[in-house]
Amino acid sequence: MNTLVKLEILRTLRNRKFMFFSVLYPGVLFLIVTAGAGKDKKLGGSDLTLVAYYMVAMAAFGAMTAVLMGNAERIAREREKGWVRQLRLTALPGRGYVTAKIASAATVSLPSIVIVLVLGAAVKGVRLDAWQWAAILVSIWAGSMVFAALGVAIGYVATADVARPLSMLCYFVLAMLGGLWIPFTTFPGWLRTLAGYLPGRAYAALGQTIEFGNAPHAKDIAVLVVYLVLFAGTAAWLYRKDTRKA
Amino acid sequence: MTATATTNGATGRTADSGVPVVAFTDVNKSYGAVHAVAGLSLELHPGETVALLGPNGAGKSTALDLLLGLKNADRGSVRVFGATPAQAIAAGQVGAMLQSGGLMEEVTVRELVGLACDLHPKAYPVDQVLAAAGITDFASRLVDKLSGGQEQRVRFALATAGANDLIVLDEPTVGMDVGARQAFWATMRGQVDQGRTVLFATHYLEEADAVADRVLVMNRGRLIADGTAAEIKARAGARRITFDLEGPIDEAALRALPHLVGLEVTGPTVRIRSDDADATTHAVYGLGLYPRNLEVAGLGLEQAFLALTEGAGASAGEQTAAGTGDDKAGKR
Repeated sequence: MNTLVKLEILRTLRNRKFMFFSVLYPGVLFLIVTAGAGKDKKLGGSDLTLVAYYMVAMAAFGAMTAVLMGNAERIAREREKGWVRQLRLTALPGRGYVTAKIASAATVSLPSIVIVLVLGAAVKGVRLDAWQWAAILVSIWAGSMVFAALGVAIGYVATADVARPLSMLCYFVLAMLGGLWIPFTTFPGWLRTLAGYLPGRAYAALGQTIEFGNAPHAKDIAVLVVYLVLFAGTAAWLYRKDTRKA
Repeated sequence: MTATATTNGATGRTADSGVPVVAFTDVNKSYGAVHAVAGLSLELHPGETVALLGPNGAGKSTALDLLLGLKNADRGSVRVFGATPAQAIAAGQVGAMLQSGGLMEEVTVRELVGLACDLHPKAYPVDQVLAAAGITDFASRLVDKLSGGQEQRVRFALATAGANDLIVLDEPTVGMDVGARQAFWATMRGQVDQGRTVLFATHYLEEADAVADRVLVMNRGRLIADGTAAEIKARAGARRITFDLEGPIDEAALRALPHLVGLEVTGPTVRIRSDDADATTHAVYGLGLYPRNLEVAGLGLEQAFLALTEGAGASAGEQTAAGTGDDKAGKR
């Protein structure tokens, strides 16, 4: 099983085109979104600058996009080519497959997050304590695995053609409701309550709480862990149960 | 991997344990209105080399998918070494080569075979697997860059990465040239000599004739013949008797000839398939007929196969004829 994890990481690194776009995309997006914002403009009613808010939001959003889209499409394609059928003829347990796919996704998301944070500090002049930088990096990276697992599950439900639109839809809804694009504070009350139980919001909240100088809320971590188990469990079950021709 | 699976593995390898390697009991699988596999029952025993024949759409691939647990039967039971297919695979008892099994891309051949070895509970060393499959030469090449024949050998390596007790091959030599095919079967014989049970589906009947010690023929989801290649030929009417007759031909009298399996009359020409040409020919003279241009020729497995599968589908008379002496064909 370790060999599979190693190979999945290795082949992701070898796929230069995929790596290049997935890794740079969040950084570029961050620069575009914050192009018009002044460095000192504060987020309504707080000490935090708008640029810092978007830095964390875009790091999270970008990592989420890369792992969700990348996994869903690649897995759907592998299924169509019949590699997954071949793999199912080995003693590999379902969780082994899901673990390897999450690990390879994490290989992509880590550098993409680092780039956004470096751009924030170097180009946009975001200033945070050392522990905050470290905590933001770790929490966004760890949280991205929830969406990697969702990507595996989608790759299993959908054909290669449908995987892309379906994962796009998932991340639009999750990112929007997570307040990754529009500050969460502008949402009406009922929507905030609903969004609080979705993985997108909990994911965004991790980094943002740290930004405000607090430790992440236990509730957000719990929500993410529940979704991780749910998505990964579904994916592993689908891997073993997939009896369609695919 | 689990305790139960290991026990099964131990019993599966002892040749006389009585546990069949594979047991299908009244297995059914449909896709909508299409009965891909209909009431299939069969057993494979340790050490057998079994060819699975049948025209396209006969249900061979579905039967293999059911055997490997890639599909679930609608009805009936599929047991491999007395356990479920998934358990047998997890115990490393089954190696399989799929017809169009895709391969992992962006990795080298050696890396991919190394993965198969890593995942196999009773794996051989990677170098040994590469050498046995004859792929050491291009082991450092990327899987994406292989030719069709090379890919096929890599698939074979994946199927033989460990000490399997059963090897399942779906159309293993498709896309190989004659030389590669011979080399492939030479490798396979090595596996058989180690006491492995081998089941392979094929379109090349000469392969079944040369390699298999048992031949299964499927048509429309059913097993219509089961025996050695020689038996299959005999069952289909292994000999063809051709002659011309003058004057009106009494078909009913001809149809009553002993050992007749098939009859075809075109103008003055009579074509008979018989499983005992001597007796049938003798009886022709016994009818007081004087056959001209008499020819008696042996049928190859290919013609026997065609006779069997066409007979099972086309005319009812042929169907019963092909079924005579075949306890499995008669069952519906």
